[in-house]
Amino acid sequence: MYFLSGWPKRLLCPLEVLEQPLHIQTDPQRAFFAVLSPSQLSIWYCRPSVLIVSYKELSKAASQFGPYKQAEWRPDSTMIAVSTANGYILFFEIPSARDKYLYEPVYPKGGPHLKGTPHYKEEQCAPSLNLEMKKVLDLQASITSLQSTIEDLLVATADGFLHLIHWDGMTNGRKAINLCTVPFSVDLQSSRAGSLLGFEDVYVRDMEYCATLDGFAVVFNDGRVGFITPMSSKFTAEQLHGVWAQDVIDGTCVAVNNKYRLMAFGCANGSVQVYTIDTTTGAMQFSHKLELTPKQYPDIWNKTGPVKLMRWSPDSCVVMVTWECGGLSLWSVFGAQLICTLGGDFAYQSDGSKKDPLKISSMTWGSEGYHLWVIDGSSSNVKPERDANNEAHQFGILQFHFIKSALTVNPCMSNQEQVLLQGEDRLYLNCGDATQAQSPRNASAHSEHKPTRERGPFSDGSLDSQGLSTLLGHRHWHVVQIHSTYLESNWPIRFSAIDKLGQNVAVVGKFGFAHYSLLTKKWKLFGNITQEQNMMVTGGLAWWNDFIVLACYNLNDHQEELRVYLRTSNLDNAFAHITKLQADTLLLSIFRDIVILFRADCSICLYSIERRPEGLNPTASIQVLQEVSMSRYIPHPFLVVSVTLTSVRTETGITLKMPQQACEAESIMLNLAGQLIMLQRDRSGPQIRDKDNNPNQRKHLPFCAPVVLAQSVENVWTTCRINKQKRHLLEALWLSCGGAGMKVWLPLFPRDHRKPHSFLSRRIMLPFHINIYPLAVLFEDALVLGAVNDTVLYDCLYTQTSAREHLEVLFPFSIVERTSQIYLHHILRQLLVRNLGEQALLLAHSCATLPYFSHVLELMLHEVLEEEATSREPIPDPLLPTVAKFITEFPLFLQTVVHCARKTEYALWNYLFAAVGNPKDLFEECLMAQDLDTAASYLIILQNMEVPAVSRQHATLLFNTALEQGKWDLCRHMIRFLKAIGSGETETPPATPTTQEPSSSSGFEFFRHRSISLSQSAENLHGKFNLTKTLSMPSGPSGKRWSKDSDCAENMYIDMMLWRHARHLLEEIKLKDLGCFAAQLGFELIGWLCKERARAARVEDFVFALKKLHKDFLWPFPVIPASSINSPFKNGKYKTAVGEQLLKSQSADTFVNMEMDTGVSNTPRSRSWLGTIGSSQREIDNVSSHGPHMQDAFLSPLLSKGDECSIGSATDLTETSSVVDGDWTMVDENFSSLSLTQSELEHLSLELASKGPHKSQVQLRYLLHIFMEAGCLDWCIIIGLILRESSVINQVFSIMQSSDIDGEICQNIKTGLHAVDKWASTDCPGYKPFLNSIKPQIQKLSEIVEEQVQPEAFQPVNLSKVTEQANPRAEESRTSSSHGTNPQSDAGNGNASRHEEDKSKTEDEDSFQEGSYDCIVS
Amino acid sequence: MPVPGLAVAILALLQHPALSPCPLLGFSWQVCSRAVQAMIEVLAKLGRGPVFLAGEVLECVITFTNPLSASSTSASSEMLAWASAQIHCQFHASENRVALPPSDGSKHDVQAENETVFVPNRGERGQCILSTPPKILFCDLRLDPGESKSYSYCETLPIDGPPSFRGQSVKYVYKLTIGCQRVNSPIKLLRVPFRVLVLHGLKDYQFPQDEAVAPSNPFLEEEEGLKKDSRLADLATELLMVATSRRSLHLYNISNTRGKVGTFCIFKTVYKIGEDVIGTFNFSEGDIPCLQFSVSLQTEESIQEEFQRRRGQPVSFSTHARHQEACLHTAQSSFSLPIPLSSTPGFTTNIVSLKWRLHFEFVTSGESAGTCLVRGSQSEAVTWTGVEQMEVDTFSWDLPIKVLPTNPILASYVSQFSNTNSITI
Repeated sequence: MYFLSGWPKRLLCPLEVLEQPLHIQTDPQRAFFAVLSPSQLSIWYCRPSVLIVSYKELSKAASQFGPYKQAEWRPDSTMIAVSTANGYILFFEIPSARDKYLYEPVYPKGGPHLKGTPHYKEEQCAPSLNLEMKKVLDLQASITSLQSTIEDLLVATADGFLHLIHWDGMTNGRKAINLCTVPFSVDLQSSRAGSLLGFEDVYVRDMEYCATLDGFAVVFNDGRVGFITPMSSKFTAEQLHGVWAQDVIDGTCVAVNNKYRLMAFGCANGSVQVYTIDTTTGAMQFSHKLELTPKQYPDIWNKTGPVKLMRWSPDSCVVMVTWECGGLSLWSVFGAQLICTLGGDFAYQSDGSKKDPLKISSMTWGSEGYHLWVIDGSSSNVKPERDANNEAHQFGILQFHFIKSALTVNPCMSNQEQVLLQGEDRLYLNCGDATQAQSPRNASAHSEHKPTRERGPFSDGSLDSQGLSTLLGHRHWHVVQIHSTYLESNWPIRFSAIDKLGQNVAVVGKFGFAHYSLLTKKWKLFGNITQEQNMMVTGGLAWWNDFIVLACYNLNDHQEELRVYLRTSNLDNAFAHITKLQADTLLLSIFRDIVILFRADCSICLYSIERRPEGLNPTASIQVLQEVSMSRYIPHPFLVVSVTLTSVRTETGITLKMPQQACEAESIMLNLAGQLIMLQRDRSGPQIRDKDNNPNQRKHLPFCAPVVLAQSVENVWTTCRINKQKRHLLEALWLSCGGAGMKVWLPLFPRDHRKPHSFLSRRIMLPFHINIYPLAVLFEDALVLGAVNDTVLYDCLYTQTSAREHLEVLFPFSIVERTSQIYLHHILRQLLVRNLGEQALLLAHSCATLPYFSHVLELMLHEVLEEEATSREPIPDPLLPTVAKFITEFPLFLQTVVHCARKTEYALWNYLFAAVGNPKDLFEECLMAQDLDTAASYLIILQNMEVPAVSRQHATLLFNTALEQGKWDLCRHMIRFLKAIGSGETETPPATPTTQEPSSSSGFEFFRHRSISLSQSAENLHGKFNLTKTLSMPSGPSGKRWSKDSDCAENMYIDMMLWRHARHLLEEIKLKDLGCFAAQLGFELIGWLCKERARAARVEDFVFALKKLHKDFLWPFPVIPASSINSPFKNGKYKTAVGEQLLKSQSADTFVNMEMDTGVSNTPRSRSWLGTIGSSQREIDNVSSHGPHMQDAFLSPLLSKGDECSIGSATDLTETSSVVDGDWTMVDENFSSLSLTQSELEHLSLELASKGPHKSQVQLRYLLHIFMEAGCLDWCIIIGLILRESSVINQVFSIMQSSDIDGEICQNIKTGLHAVDKWASTDCPGYKPFLNSIKPQIQKLSEIVEEQVQPEAFQPVNLSKVTEQANPRAEESRTSSSHGTNPQSDAGNGNASRHEEDKSKTEDEDSFQEGSYDCIVS
Repeated sequence: MPVPGLAVAILALLQHPALSPCPLLGFSWQVCSRAVQAMIEVLAKLGRGPVFLAGEVLECVITFTNPLSASSTSASSEMLAWASAQIHCQFHASENRVALPPSDGSKHDVQAENETVFVPNRGERGQCILSTPPKILFCDLRLDPGESKSYSYCETLPIDGPPSFRGQSVKYVYKLTIGCQRVNSPIKLLRVPFRVLVLHGLKDYQFPQDEAVAPSNPFLEEEEGLKKDSRLADLATELLMVATSRRSLHLYNISNTRGKVGTFCIFKTVYKIGEDVIGTFNFSEGDIPCLQFSVSLQTEESIQEEFQRRRGQPVSFSTHARHQEACLHTAQSSFSLPIPLSSTPGFTTNIVSLKWRLHFEFVTSGESAGTCLVRGSQSEAVTWTGVEQMEVDTFSWDLPIKVLPTNPILASYVSQFSNTNSITI
């Protein structure tokens, strides 16, 4: 479609003789335009817009003829006829001076040239023309209309005559027809002798010839409109017949659209009535109306005055309409409004003052519709006196620039999932969608059942929103400037096409073509200019994979050809596959591997296209498949707007069983002047049986007789892709119908694949309205893409009054923006209205994965609700319950309802919830579905619809659940909410839940206000809340509240709940959750812990607690260092080098089991290694293994296990995503910029992994501090254990000794430690060294305890026994030790290691390090 | 900070004997490596798109997959010894334009194909001027047939690095390199190129609440990183908007030695990439007819003096958009030039500086207006035709403009880099 771009350009007439221009008219080729002023005729060149020649009438002759009125070009552009006010027609001949050009720049010798191309003069300079008056004709009555036909000039005069004047003038002179003698009737059938016009002074005010209807659309001076057609080939009075348009009585002007056979009559009331001719009866048939709506233009819609002028664009796609009071408005062929300059920034300045609308006295379209020249009639008023010299030159000729959709001229639809706009010198593409659009499609499948929004870095939500924003929100265009070399010699661009993936574009100018790759950002032009200039594309072009397919006329051979060029090879005919064609091609389209041509002889020709890999440059070969003559159905080939093959059939029942057929070319879709005609393949004959035998047979299946599917069709979209999930959308046919919106021809599928009843229809045509002009249909995404004009005002920058004439002040800057629209809700609703709920459900389920599906449901519910709840008339069969039931089919039901409710007025809630169900029930469903955010939304509704007690009860429920799930934001809101309710209770009902400020107002109005602000804040909950707010929330407002008496009860209540939850967490040993809970809600942990010290804060089961903490904080269980790990770091920084053990299931039992299993199988492996390394190492090993500090007996199985467990699994996303980048940075700083070697990496990772994440460490220390403060010593012990810091243990013990601690606690700690020790011995030997190191303290502790309490004494014997039990197994598996210790020495080693147990841990480590370093053999 | 010495230091350190790979590490994987080497697919995906602001956190999800091959029944588990990732910025200068100070490291213009050490820029031309510390993704990864594991790599991009730039003399290229190694096999590198936009002055903006908000409670830390990162992007977007949304009238008189040609008007001089440069001409007030004008949107790439190969060597220009119009009988006209989203905003490093400008060229008539135009009198019908040839002069004019980066997400839409990269090892 057409879009206005930028500012207009103002032309400057170089002549000093000043006359205000009044008429402008381009020649039929649109290379020149003629400008008339009262006594002057000027011819301008279109590009560049320069004046070529001007003729000034003698003053004497001028007074005889009267001022010039109208000009009309002869079709071959060699003559102009000018009518004058006194009834004269002046014929001017335009002889062109061959090879003479004007305004050729002559550069100073040796100076810099701007640019020189070989054909510079022809392309950049205007041709030289002359103007000679040839003949003057006096018609003796004032001339009202001039109309040029092929051979004649038709002149209407005010005396009621039509004069037919031959252009050559000499042969048969002129003929006059009195209108009174022409019979007029309602249609051509009724009677040959219709009524004559009847009265004397009727004359033609305006008329235009319609070639495709062969007749004249006329407007009479009395406002009636009609169509005059010659009944035979001769144009004489006797042979003429007229038909009336019965409803129009105030016509002012007419414009004819030849391609669509439309007659647009402008009316005095400002509307435009568009008529066509009923081909069967010959009567005038109303098509549609162009009218400004009061909704969009409240202040102008009735005040435009009569329609002044209308001009169809050269491609017949749009019509420009202007009124007496001014303004430009642009409409698509079937009445979609695109632009109107009577509103918005065109009509108002930035300060709000109204501008004078642009009054247009004449206008004409330039080549391909890129320009519109307009004569600004209003400028004559501005002119008087002021600075005559400068102002004088400001002739009011404005040149508006347009950008149009590639669809208007190149309607090969199959690849239009992109929006492509073509401007005079650039292309606009909707950038990025080709790659980005895929991501929501893929990602949405995963995110489907994630009702809660996760902020995690990998949640698909973020991807979705980004991909979606690409599709919906992102308004940037990818602008490609067309290569200047190509443009200069081939302006204007006639066709453009983009490939399926949106990565390559091709443009066609006057001659040849060029293409551009968006990836390489490079143009490819013909290497041989002669080839380019010898080729003229006739029928458009299309991409087929890597090939460009186009139909062109070979100027050299005078032959029409079908050519296929490969994108990747040089642009040269040598690499093209060329097929000769019999007739001119008008249209070209591609369906899968079939090229469809529509030729000037009204036949459709199908070709197969095939890729042939030949050497380096593959070629495509083309073969004729079938030819279908359409001449019976098509009156004129020019009327065909588009031709395409589709897989659409009327019988979808068949395709359901055989979906593979869906991709076949089943029918031809032909847009004949807006009538969509379908020709299906005839499968009824015996060919079906032959199909299997001979595959060629099926290609020659004849086509059935045509069926008209729709009227007023501007564009058609189908796809040849198959998607079994979305068959409704993909097998549908999408139509854009101008002002009537869009239509979809939707297939209806029988349920359960049963054979459908033959009386059930298989397709349904559903109309729906969208607010944008559709340019592309994204089938799978259920989206329509489009573009709209937008404007930017610059006038505020000009403050001086002298700048009033600046175009920047007069006009806003026009830009084109991308838009898109969801339409699914319209279709679903229409299906529901038609009782096709089953189909609606199928369709909706197929789209449920779309990211905006919830939005679709919400829109549908909202629209139906608004309509039915506000309807004044009773609705006997409301749709709302049906829609509500329909939405319950989807998991998004609860969300959809509450979102919809919150976006509608409170007054409609009762109506809504009467249909969807009680909000209390819905709230409970949310809770059951664990969808807390939605439940919170329902709470706001409950709060407004129910008494406070109910909402409080529900809020409590939600609060508890939120606490359990750790939804802290929600918890904070619930605290606020509960307090608000509490404070409300003390006041007079109805409750006014004040959260921030106590409000004086109450009642319904305030209620509504509250609900809105609350819901807003709830929506901010995830996004906007900045940290300060969240942090201050618990302490800030709540702190203030607490002082208030009225809130005390409420606060107590909330505190009780918080305490209960904290106790619960502690009892469940969820320390991490407790920490988060306290931090997020500002819970005062220390004080509470003090109170709970002897109750909930007591550790009952040390081992369980320890294990639980390991798990919660992702803290690896300690492993005794492996001697075979070689650390290259000798600096001793990594003394605590230990192997890491992070099994997927971290239970100690499985660990032990696996240890046993693999221990045996690993033995041979280490043996084989022994063999390869050699004996020298073994000696060293033996030496080191006999060393004094051997502890490695535990270790070998762990090492072999190390192969299997992933060290990095703490950061392994498949298990947990909470640790993002953990502590990989904890590399020694000296080596931070280093590239690490294998061994270093290995070593580092082992060391790091034994520690656990840094964050956990910080958190544990923080908790330790808290517990220490609160005096929860048993917890301190556990954290000390997990951190393996003896200082912590010591500190606790010293506290226990110094202060007088409850003996029970000491006893508890003692038994706990005992249990841990026991557990470590059996299940987690990694703890042993540390436990051993603190053994003396434990000993001391037990003494204290024994002093205090006497019972079951701690027996050190026990401990050593346990160790003994553990040892043999460890030694056993040590045979597989990579260390290669001699198995025979095992027993001795074991003893040795036992003896050394008392050694402090650090010493062990040290010696171990040294030993292992010795092992390195290189 | 493009310090060539840094790269040298790295190189030197790599030669250090203590850092050479230890053969001992290989032993326990021998059984595996002897088996038929199947494949592991490594796929790196930049979730947000391949464009980032300097200072932002780059996040890359790296997925290791053992493809389930239906053909081989004896599909075995695959082992990877380790994988590590690192971001570096590679600098490359044209030999005949840039003279870099001699340094012992720079003689390795192309990094050696060292196969046993993780060198992110292995096999690339130029110098690594900036690199982040390497991060280990894992060691010892076993993948069963059909199994895949994903790792997330996050790294803050240096805020003071150069922007991605491919000029005629100098290139700055950012890459994330993922190195991984099978046992007894050479290191394989997966390179993920991405684009970095630099907003100068961004790092000077302190986040004022940062100190106040800094949570003392480690349990509040969770979202802090994300928030800070998004705050950086928000701040950048806001700064950019403030810088580029202000419009004011800039009027220029165009005149040459013969007189006034017209006026040129532009509404702002600071733009974001992706925006259109809009300007208007008014020739109606000029004395000299102008036949043609052209406006080119250009960048000027100049090497700082101390690095120039030759003294006074010319700066290089490249044109990103051009508008040309014949304007002989034009009173007022306008143009709009799109600044490509893929172009590099202006910047300066110690080696090179990139500046944007509008370059105008005018073809003006030698004669002044009016003399050649009307031939005629009041007495008879006159025909006026334009002259065939015009003596012309050309002259040019430059107007510097400022071009800033834009929202990196927006820039991602037209990036030539793809979101996902993969190799098979």
